[in-house]
Amino acid sequence: MRGAAFILWRLSLTTFLQQLFNALALGGVYALVALGLTLVYGVMRVPNFAHGGLYMLGAYFAYAALSGLGVPYVAALLLAAAGVALLAALLERAVFYPLRNAPHVHSMIAAIGVLFFVEAAVQLIWGPDFKQIAEPVPGIVNLGGVIITWQRVLVIAASVLVVLGLNYFLKRTLTGATIEAMSQNREGARLVGVNVNRVGMLTFAISGGLAAAAAALIAPIISVAPSMGEVMNLKVFAIIILGGMGSVPGAIVGAFLLALAEVFGGFYINLDFADVIGFAMLVLVLAIKPEGLFRRGT
Amino acid sequence: MQRRTLVSLVLALAAGSALADKVVNIGYSGPLSGGAAFYGKDVQSGIDMAIGEINKAGGVTVNGEKVTFKLVALDDRYLPNETATNVKRLTSQGIDVIFVPHAGGILTVQPLATRDPNFLLVAYSSEPKILEAKNPLTFMLPPRYDNYVAPFVSTEMKAFGKKLGLVGTTSAYGKQWTEAVTDEWKKQGGTVGSNNGVDYGTTVDYSSAVTKALAEKPDVLFVGGPSQPTALVIKAAREQGFKGGFIVMDQAKFEQMNQIVPQAYLDGSVGVLPTAQYPGAPVFVAQYQRLYKKIPTSEAALNYVGMHAVARAMALAGTTTDPVAIRAKLGAAVAALPKSVAIYSLKGVTPAGHLDADVVAASVKNGKFTKLRLPNLK
Amino acid sequence: MNRAAFKPGPWGWLVIFALAALLPLLKPGGYVLDIGINIMIWAMLAYGLNVMLGYSGLLSLAHAGFFGIGAYAVGILTLKAHWSFWLALPAGVLISALGGLLLGLVAFRTRGDAFAIFTLGVGVILQLVINKWDALTGGNEGLNGVPPATSLLGIDFSKGANFYYVALAALALTVLVVARTRGSVFGRSLVAIRGGEDLARSAGIDVYTHKLRALMLSTAIAGLAGGVYAAYVGFLGSSVTGPVTTFTVLLYLLVGGVGTLAGPLLGTALMYGLTQSLKGLQDYQYIVFGPLLVLLVMFVPQGLAGLWDRAQARRVAARTERTVDHA
Repeated sequence: MRGAAFILWRLSLTTFLQQLFNALALGGVYALVALGLTLVYGVMRVPNFAHGGLYMLGAYFAYAALSGLGVPYVAALLLAAAGVALLAALLERAVFYPLRNAPHVHSMIAAIGVLFFVEAAVQLIWGPDFKQIAEPVPGIVNLGGVIITWQRVLVIAASVLVVLGLNYFLKRTLTGATIEAMSQNREGARLVGVNVNRVGMLTFAISGGLAAAAAALIAPIISVAPSMGEVMNLKVFAIIILGGMGSVPGAIVGAFLLALAEVFGGFYINLDFADVIGFAMLVLVLAIKPEGLFRRGT
Repeated sequence: MQRRTLVSLVLALAAGSALADKVVNIGYSGPLSGGAAFYGKDVQSGIDMAIGEINKAGGVTVNGEKVTFKLVALDDRYLPNETATNVKRLTSQGIDVIFVPHAGGILTVQPLATRDPNFLLVAYSSEPKILEAKNPLTFMLPPRYDNYVAPFVSTEMKAFGKKLGLVGTTSAYGKQWTEAVTDEWKKQGGTVGSNNGVDYGTTVDYSSAVTKALAEKPDVLFVGGPSQPTALVIKAAREQGFKGGFIVMDQAKFEQMNQIVPQAYLDGSVGVLPTAQYPGAPVFVAQYQRLYKKIPTSEAALNYVGMHAVARAMALAGTTTDPVAIRAKLGAAVAALPKSVAIYSLKGVTPAGHLDADVVAASVKNGKFTKLRLPNLK
Repeated sequence: MNRAAFKPGPWGWLVIFALAALLPLLKPGGYVLDIGINIMIWAMLAYGLNVMLGYSGLLSLAHAGFFGIGAYAVGILTLKAHWSFWLALPAGVLISALGGLLLGLVAFRTRGDAFAIFTLGVGVILQLVINKWDALTGGNEGLNGVPPATSLLGIDFSKGANFYYVALAALALTVLVVARTRGSVFGRSLVAIRGGEDLARSAGIDVYTHKLRALMLSTAIAGLAGGVYAAYVGFLGSSVTGPVTTFTVLLYLLVGGVGTLAGPLLGTALMYGLTQSLKGLQDYQYIVFGPLLVLLVMFVPQGLAGLWDRAQARRVAARTERTVDHA
């Protein structure tokens, strides 16, 4: 037993705020990745295990655009998002659409196959070494002792912006409303004449684009490596079960809950077990509320 | 010993290995896919480069016969059970020298080395248990890390103060380091904060661990793991206003970290001297950069040295197939390596099978590396 | 969906196992024996998965974790408590089964995809706990020097060739238990549950208890595989207890044929052999493997054993048709 864990000490407000900002930035990235996953699940009923692969691919696309094409950061981010969106749509056509009537286990396993492939392909193209993306705005902001890097400010701001944009799209546009309608009631949407095929493809594209944007945002803070998608994969799955599979608000709340649990759980309890804390929280929530925090509308 | 079953013959053909007498196959089992692939590839590059050099020079002369080498590399994804399967496959192909670069795999196959068919196990891992096993066919390449600890601690404590924070990685090796540094720091009269180590391999964002460590107001931080994440930990600490020093675990290399963070961030840290700064290194470093377009680390360099040593030991022993005889000549082989190959000033091989080398620690001051004298503990 | 099992029949199985038992007598190299033992260990894990996925229709992704529980139980009991392997192995199986019970109590509150992902989460937790609990499992350093199987009835099982028979016996036991289960009322009830829980419930089947028992059997088999693995490899690390292992074995099962008796063994033998021969490809192996997995579920979802079944069924159908024509 580590004696230090039992020593109660007063946590200064600065440190608390510092950790809060750390958690917010992390939660923002989790939210972007989880949103795509939950949308795909809602519309297609596919637990897309390849999602972490799309996220990782996004980071590499951004890296390639920055170092290969020499475009500015924002352009690289958009290019990565567009590229991965296109690939995700293709993936839906080639793999998941043909499997739409097969048992779910099949599309799940196909997704794992895609994940294996993407990871190996990236390692082949870019090599197994870590890649680094330079921060577009280096430096820090000091808010009364709370220090936060510009990149984190950017991550938080961008994720809020994207989430608001997505919300507008789902609530205020016809296509968005169709996606939302389908995620709530697939059969009903078909009955009222929604083109189910096109929506599936579009949803995949959006989900890929979101994952890639998240990856391009956090890439300057972390290292880019072929296996970076594996960890993220598990976390976002935990998030969408936590929030209720297919639920958009659930994914956002779940993302920030997981980030807060990891950061503050690591802080108060034990950092080494921070990952366990996240999953333990998931098991606990499901034991009490099997359908997740936000039940998906039926 | 070369029991050529149909299977192994087919496999040998599949692996594309020539069956000509003059070509000796060298085995390698390491992570070539997955999260640790970068490490496995670095190690492999060193062995590959040495083999390339030897072959280009026409090979080594063993018993009057010119011998060239070929590397048979198999992926084990860092899984010890796959290492064991790979090693059995390699020995069934008649391979007598096998490189393994991770402690789990090494400890699993170590008992196999002395059985029939026996082989020379070239171990790249500083795990002390590898030597404790007293296996007569093990050749361990990396220097013992415990030589670093005392000078690292005294340098940093003198320069910055008595309070140490811990943010090392939680790999097996990282934990051993954390423990050793903790003990030494206390022994020299300092105080150690709570352990805020995180797994550098799976953590998405290091800043919360750094924030937690800095909340205890340490003078010195212990950091380390693979270079890239270590650099990010250092970056997070500097950005959060940390002005003290860093004790950098030997796994992280300054020459890789300063590609990611400004050299100024590294000021006040103590760690392993970059390979390029060794007197014997310039030739190797230039060659390596030409071949692989990146800065060589000690992973590549030490395995490069290891392969050269094995080739020379075969020449001295007059055999390519008797691991016991080859092992017996390793010490003489290491001592006879030319300066341009030896990189680290090598002294030989200890009776326990450990490469005896003078490794140099360095502290960073105003962007410059200053060498630290290490007391030789053996 | 007609998923009648591909049945080599009791005699067929006897021939298969008799042939397998003859292998060490040919005095093959260590590598061949190693492949044989590995195939048997992973086939057992595939049988464990099959009890859940094939018979009950539930995808449990925590199985590598239970494999780990069995392996570490045997490792810790023999290494630290100095138990005999022959006592530690049943203990490991029992602990895995109990673990399965605990998992089921919570996991069966979820259904369908949520169950799969929930068990995946549990699998991750199991691996993380094994990886972090230094005092018990050796954490990241792993457990080194797990003693090999000790002598039993005067036979020394520590040597490679003799240990081959331990693995073979464990596999035979697994196949026997699974076959008996499948044929029993319990097995038929599971298949009914696979067809539809509500329907099964209306037919008077206690769905919850049945699923719980199936999960316990399934994790017990995983634990058995783990226990044999521990004594064979002699070193335990947490990496083998993670989801990647589950997915790999799931691939074996799919290739062989989900829900069939021969499928797990067939698929494991084929895919493990294929993986070994693909090793020469190094970086490319997953570039081949990934798409293979996709193509497999798209075009041969019933697996090899299922393919055989279909061909059989078609032949029977053709014959009946002909008879009808003549009539």
